[in-house]
Amino acid sequence: MSSEIYDIGYRHYDGPRLGPGYATRALTLHSLRGIFGLGRTARSKIMPFLLAIIMLLPAVVSIAMMALLQQRGMAYSAFAVIMQPVIAIFLAAQAPTVVAPDLRYRVLPLYLSRPVAVVQYVSAKVIAMTAALFMLVALPLTLIYVGELLIDLPGPPQTKEYLGALTVALLLSVLLTAFGLALASLTPRRGLGVASVIAVYLLSLAAVPVIYGTLLSLNEDAAARWAWLLNPFWLLDAVQVWLFGSTPNSEGGYPPGPAPALITLALIAFAIGVLALRYRKAAAQ
Amino acid sequence: MATEGSVRIMHILATEGLTKRFPTVTALDRLTVDVGTGVTGLVGANGAGKSTLIKILLGLLPPSAGGAKVLDLDVTTQGTQIRRIVGYMPEHDCLPPDVSATEFVVHLAQMSGLPRTAARERAADVLRHVGLAEERYRAMGGYSTGMKQRVKLAQALVHDPKMIFLDEPTNGLDPRGRDEMLALIRRIGTEFGISVLVTSHLLGELERICDHVIVIDAGRLLRSSAITEFTQATQSLTVEVEEGVQPLAERLAEHGQQVTQHGRLLLVKVSGPETFDAIRDAVVDLDLCLIRMEQGRHRIEDVFREEAADVV
Repeated sequence: MSSEIYDIGYRHYDGPRLGPGYATRALTLHSLRGIFGLGRTARSKIMPFLLAIIMLLPAVVSIAMMALLQQRGMAYSAFAVIMQPVIAIFLAAQAPTVVAPDLRYRVLPLYLSRPVAVVQYVSAKVIAMTAALFMLVALPLTLIYVGELLIDLPGPPQTKEYLGALTVALLLSVLLTAFGLALASLTPRRGLGVASVIAVYLLSLAAVPVIYGTLLSLNEDAAARWAWLLNPFWLLDAVQVWLFGSTPNSEGGYPPGPAPALITLALIAFAIGVLALRYRKAAAQ
Repeated sequence: MATEGSVRIMHILATEGLTKRFPTVTALDRLTVDVGTGVTGLVGANGAGKSTLIKILLGLLPPSAGGAKVLDLDVTTQGTQIRRIVGYMPEHDCLPPDVSATEFVVHLAQMSGLPRTAARERAADVLRHVGLAEERYRAMGGYSTGMKQRVKLAQALVHDPKMIFLDEPTNGLDPRGRDEMLALIRRIGTEFGISVLVTSHLLGELERICDHVIVIDAGRLLRSSAITEFTQATQSLTVEVEEGVQPLAERLAEHGQQVTQHGRLLLVKVSGPETFDAIRDAVVDLDLCLIRMEQGRHRIEDVFREEAADVV
């Protein structure tokens, strides 16, 4: 009987056992794939890919304008600020998928009973979400830049602006990731996580014109400029203005000097601290 | 393997004065045990300190005093090395519902350091060993409790550990599922050659599969000994006959056997091989219909009760 299946018994594994570095990289890749719904159901791919495609539309329009009208479309430095609702929705929709299931279904102890320590676990999640957000912003920017090089507009290519926008996109991704994951890890139900991230974003968006308008009506112009820093996208735009001398994408400009950059770093440190505390508690359970 | 055939005695698991105090409670109190290969049962009521002990042995919780070694590795300084070669099946649910068992076990194999292809092969292997067939490709949300317990066991085995800690693996299983799980644990300890530490608050089920039993209560050691020592003192036979329980009891008593009657059953203390002969002869002489003669159950439980009473 050739079709018979023989039970060959238990086989031991004597192949390589790689270190925590490998496990962390594998977890990062696994999480990154999860953010874009790869290896998941078709339904979980819709949202991330839809948003990624929307992000590419301005790039297509910019390239078309450069090719047909010999004129620049959206400035590199303005891209993140203009596209901020899409980026925020992406963060709100996908940050909970990165951290919530492992907390809610108590998978975390299975990681911690392996060579993966809690620091490595959290790092992998932060790197994965940062990479996803960075790709979301960097891909259309790169597309515009490649288009600019191919079309060969009059004047030198805006390489400095492009690289500046990429640097700021990376900082923005870290800031958004830190807050998104901290909020999502505090609300392990996925729906609640989505709602809490979007609520905080809307609050930061709505607060800017209210406070700016109020201070302006009091003739406090200098103080009013600080209002922009309440929103992460304008905060990073202010950093861009300070670092690369780009044109502000806000009414009346930003407070001068390194203050926006210091605020950014402080906020990142704060959110990472919250995340660390959350996971220290989860690990002790 | 280089160590094969060597005479070196390896401590599978040893604790020395192990103590763990939490702000409000002492979970482990000067626990000293030494465990060899095979299947070891860790018995205690809920809250006796079983899960705390496992967390310390995994190097995830520092002891307040004393120390412990797992596979000759120190739990306070060599936690990472321990976790590379030890498997852990927690008591609680730990399976995300929207992932398939295969995907889940492959991923956790990688987390234990197995390269991706090896992880796939091992996952397929262990899922087959724990008895999960085609359903392993389906999302785990639809699994029965029995299937979930099997996946939890598979993830603990996937990296071929030298030892596994199973926390209440029979929890929530029906009698048949319980028997299958126990048989599987026994196979892991014997056929697979992986040392097992299995906890339970049910004493009866551990005596069927363990080589060694540790009984703890309120963090203190009540007893640690081989299963043979455990059952020797209280070995008894349960005898059931269709009719004539009374005459049989009398006949056995006449032949010097210690007999107690429990309704339709007789409990006979085993004093040696002659006890079995005496029962056989008595049944034949009285022309009775023998339905059942089996080794008494709840033997560990009796010891546990006696010793718990002593300690209090």
